[in-house]
Amino acid sequence: MSDPQQPRLTPIDEWEDEAEAMLDDVEYDTDLGVQMARDAIRVSNGELTDAEFHEKYHEAVLEEFGEDQRPTKPEGFDDD
Amino acid sequence: MTNYGLVIDQERCIGCQACAVSCKQENNVPMGQFWNRVLTEGGEKMDTPSGGYPEDGGSGSLDMQYQPTACQHCENAPCVKVCPVNATYTRDDGIVEIDYDKCIGCRYCMAACPYNARVFNWDEPEHMPEEGTGDVEARPQGVVEKCTFCSHRVEDGLDPACVVNCPADARIFGDLDDETSTVSKYINEYETDQLLEDRGTKPKTHYISGEMSPGRPQTSDKMESELDDVSPWSDGDDDVPSKEADSVGSESSSSSHSVEGGEIPYATPAKSGGDD
Repeated sequence: MSDPQQPRLTPIDEWEDEAEAMLDDVEYDTDLGVQMARDAIRVSNGELTDAEFHEKYHEAVLEEFGEDQRPTKPEGFDDD
Repeated sequence: MTNYGLVIDQERCIGCQACAVSCKQENNVPMGQFWNRVLTEGGEKMDTPSGGYPEDGGSGSLDMQYQPTACQHCENAPCVKVCPVNATYTRDDGIVEIDYDKCIGCRYCMAACPYNARVFNWDEPEHMPEEGTGDVEARPQGVVEKCTFCSHRVEDGLDPACVVNCPADARIFGDLDDETSTVSKYINEYETDQLLEDRGTKPKTHYISGEMSPGRPQTSDKMESELDDVSPWSDGDDDVPSKEADSVGSESSSSSHSVEGGEIPYATPAKSGGDD
């Protein structure tokens, strides 16, 4: 958690620790959240496409949340 | 199509926290949470510079700048891509918003946001006064919340509260897709940066640093696009002051003002929100 008295932008090398701390006691899969966050940045960077990102995590998201409503779903993607 | 964005002139920002406070008030942000923060670039603590005082006739190296930060309303928003229930989404006007009825509090969006712009309601939100403030309903415990560019105000043709209440006129809000808007002109005319550009998120908040712009003095709560006389410098077709025009100045008339040197035109005190 960032301290509102002196918040900051997280240096990239410290980001992962902070992301893990954010998700530490969440009732959902922490590792999945960190991995998806990391790859979402890769999508923003252009290293991964929306479709690749969607397909990579579709099953895990379905298993964890029972649904996958992410907007990255490619046209014609088979939900099953 | 409208694509809202914000320009913040860091050379004008005086670190007064009026943006942070007016955001809290307008958006009913719970105690202990901030959607809008003013970081200090310099020393380790708030309002402290790095470097040292002059010694033995030297020149010293004190250095400090303010870095106002909130949701950057990224075009390539990672928070939107990871939300499994599509609670975080991008509106047609470019504002990234959260549907609090859909949010399940998984906090994946918080982990994906490189700007630490999101906060989580761990407990039942507390407000001072208890009934809350501003025009926005309190969000329940267990959801993530963040800056909305004051979308409830924007929908009424009003500038975000942080923009209206900035006493240094350092915040300029408008349509990035309208090349005649002040935000577009300043982005073209001044050297601007976006935060963490290397991450490819394409933030819609742009920061001016190096050379101070004339800002955009607030003459009312209304957004620039809602004003007939677009800016206080208006003198006809092109009413955004250029660097050249700024140094020359112009004669004022009943519907126009001039900016000479560092002079800031009179701006009507803006309401702090709550009953707009």
